[in-house]
Amino acid sequence: MTRTSSARRKRVVGPAILAAGLMLGGGAANAQLKSYDSSKPSFWQNPPPDWFLGDETEAQKGLAPPVGPATPTPLAELNDNLKKIKLPPGFKIEVYASGIPEARQMAWGDNGTLFVGSFGATNVYAVTDKGGKREVKTILKGLNMPTGVAFRDGALYVIAIDKLLRYDGAESKLDEMPKPVVVYDDMPPYVAHGWKYIVTDKEGAMYLPFGPPFNIGIPPTSVSQIRRVHPNGQAEIIALGVRNSVGGDIDPRTGQYWFTENARDWISDDLPSDKLNHVTRLGQHFGYPYCHQGDMPDPKFAMGHKCDEFTPPALNLGPHVAPLGMKFYTGNQFPAEYQNNILIAEHGSWNRHKYQGGRIMRVTVDPDGKNAKQEVFAEGWITGNQEYSGRPNDILVAKDGSILVADDWAGAIYRISYSR
Amino acid sequence: MRPVLAALAALCLSATPLAAADIEAGRQRAETCVTCHGADGITADPSIPSLAGQRERYLQWQLVFFRSGRRANPIMGPLAADLTDEELRNLGAYFASLPRANPPSGAPDPALHEAGKQAAARHRCASCHQDNYGGSQAAPAIAHQTRAYTAKALRDYRANARPSVGVAAMNEAAGGLTDDDITALAVYLERPE
Ligand code: HEC
Ligand code: HEC
Repeated sequence: MTRTSSARRKRVVGPAILAAGLMLGGGAANAQLKSYDSSKPSFWQNPPPDWFLGDETEAQKGLAPPVGPATPTPLAELNDNLKKIKLPPGFKIEVYASGIPEARQMAWGDNGTLFVGSFGATNVYAVTDKGGKREVKTILKGLNMPTGVAFRDGALYVIAIDKLLRYDGAESKLDEMPKPVVVYDDMPPYVAHGWKYIVTDKEGAMYLPFGPPFNIGIPPTSVSQIRRVHPNGQAEIIALGVRNSVGGDIDPRTGQYWFTENARDWISDDLPSDKLNHVTRLGQHFGYPYCHQGDMPDPKFAMGHKCDEFTPPALNLGPHVAPLGMKFYTGNQFPAEYQNNILIAEHGSWNRHKYQGGRIMRVTVDPDGKNAKQEVFAEGWITGNQEYSGRPNDILVAKDGSILVADDWAGAIYRISYSR
Repeated sequence: MRPVLAALAALCLSATPLAAADIEAGRQRAETCVTCHGADGITADPSIPSLAGQRERYLQWQLVFFRSGRRANPIMGPLAADLTDEELRNLGAYFASLPRANPPSGAPDPALHEAGKQAAARHRCASCHQDNYGGSQAAPAIAHQTRAYTAKALRDYRANARPSVGVAAMNEAAGGLTDDDITALAVYLERPE
């Protein structure tokens, strides 16, 4: 496998170097590549501000995460953007709610309140339906990257980097949220890949991802893993060797946990692939940092490991597509063949000269993880080589069988419905 | 930068379409701003920054920060307090559309300029702000800004007196700067070429 992948790597690196040279004026005198020794505790105890640039290569030099609009996209512009979204026949997309800065994971309250987390905006929102019109309220402020939310037994759960918080009776207290109970806080405080997603299973336990505080390196033992945290604060490690995961769901057919994973950056535009993983056994190792995409040893951190030592992905989703929130489709509105398919919100690239992702994919796969294949479900949010009109990051099935899509770039939530 | 490369770079940068913001409406709304920021967004007062040719999204984020008080400033706070999202978008688009200021005339103190150049290399400022300090993505243009303002900006980040997009990127980048670094960087960045 080593040979195939390095041959492939050569082919793609050529044109990428050329493109980078053009953009930056061909290796200017003070062109320096950023390199870090991310294998030392001093690095992860205090990740530098530009930690995500730390393994810069000549091929990818100068690519940095894009900054989103400062204000949520106005409704008229959103409607315009949605005209350009391509969907399969019979499907329709519309704005469900707008004016929600940096909207991330969504969760339903028992009485139909939609709770929404955010990225840098520090807020949690509640969206309520007032006679067909949606009202957006900021119910929590000043949290440290409250990207993940969940709802169970009348309580809203919020994950803010290193604190899993519980707000009891949340739905009836939207105007003045109660003081939170800290359910679990045995987590590292750094922000680098520290933002999280919550998947709740039947027993009410919450799966939380722990990303490494860098692009690539030997991770501290407390991260690069998925933990399952019980409402009483007990926790167990479920999976190892995981890079940055910000999405997952429980397969309704088996009760097993599936999750998306963002692969390392700074190799090339086309390697390695992001992944969809399936946990079948406690403590499986998914390869990071030794092996990527099931068959590509890391150029520096493979350290003698072979890819066949690790659990391969159920499906390689493509390089730099950034798969985030995902859901098994369990509604009864879409055509029957969508039942138990996985819908994945792809946030899209930054470390790639021509962005890809920024769309919603449909994956069909057997309950045992076999026969996985994917096709595009909704696309059209990439509007130039390196420009977005929106970036999907989460999916939620609604009671009526339509789905909601959160977009943190445009600060909006869309609804996709089907009718024959 | 050689002309061909400059043209290419300009192409690369202008590939970002200006969003639906209305530049003409921004120009009209900017009439209350230009008394301080200069007729073409180029300042005559060294304590007030030039806005011309700055990156559109950066300007808009700063106005959002002034409006919410997260970037506390006794002058800009009240001026931004009742800007609507729409006005703020238009103002950002207008100032971004203007040509950037030339470097100030007159040669800088060569020793200070050289010290600034070295500090910039040591702290790798170009890895985010680009080799020509014209900015990229979240990182604003920092070349050709007045030295008094640049020095204040760096001190403010260092003291966490202003926030930074990009997961506090700039607060941490400025955290390790000494007073001497800041003085030299501000002089160098006025005229980095
Ligand atoms: C009375 C003088 C004054 C007026 C009028 C004024 N500004 Fe400012 N502005 C300043 C000063 C001084 C600063 C620097 C603040 C600091 O030191 O942080 C500033 C900073 C800014 C910045 C931040 C620039 C940067 O590089 O970070 C923006 C953007 C801005 N002003 C936009 C505006 C707009 C838009 C208007 C009109 C609505 C306006 N200003 C009107 C004095 C003024
Ligand atoms: C990790 C990326 C990164 C690095 C490294 C970095 N910057 Fe920045 N810089 C930013 C970002 C992002 C902003 C915008 C922050 C904000 O939202 O206010 C910024 C803003 C600034 C500003 C404010 C400009 C204005 O108009 O107010 C100055 C000045 C500046 N940087 C100078 C520097 C210098 C000097 C260095 C090297 C010591 C440096 N930066 C290193 C990312 C970076």
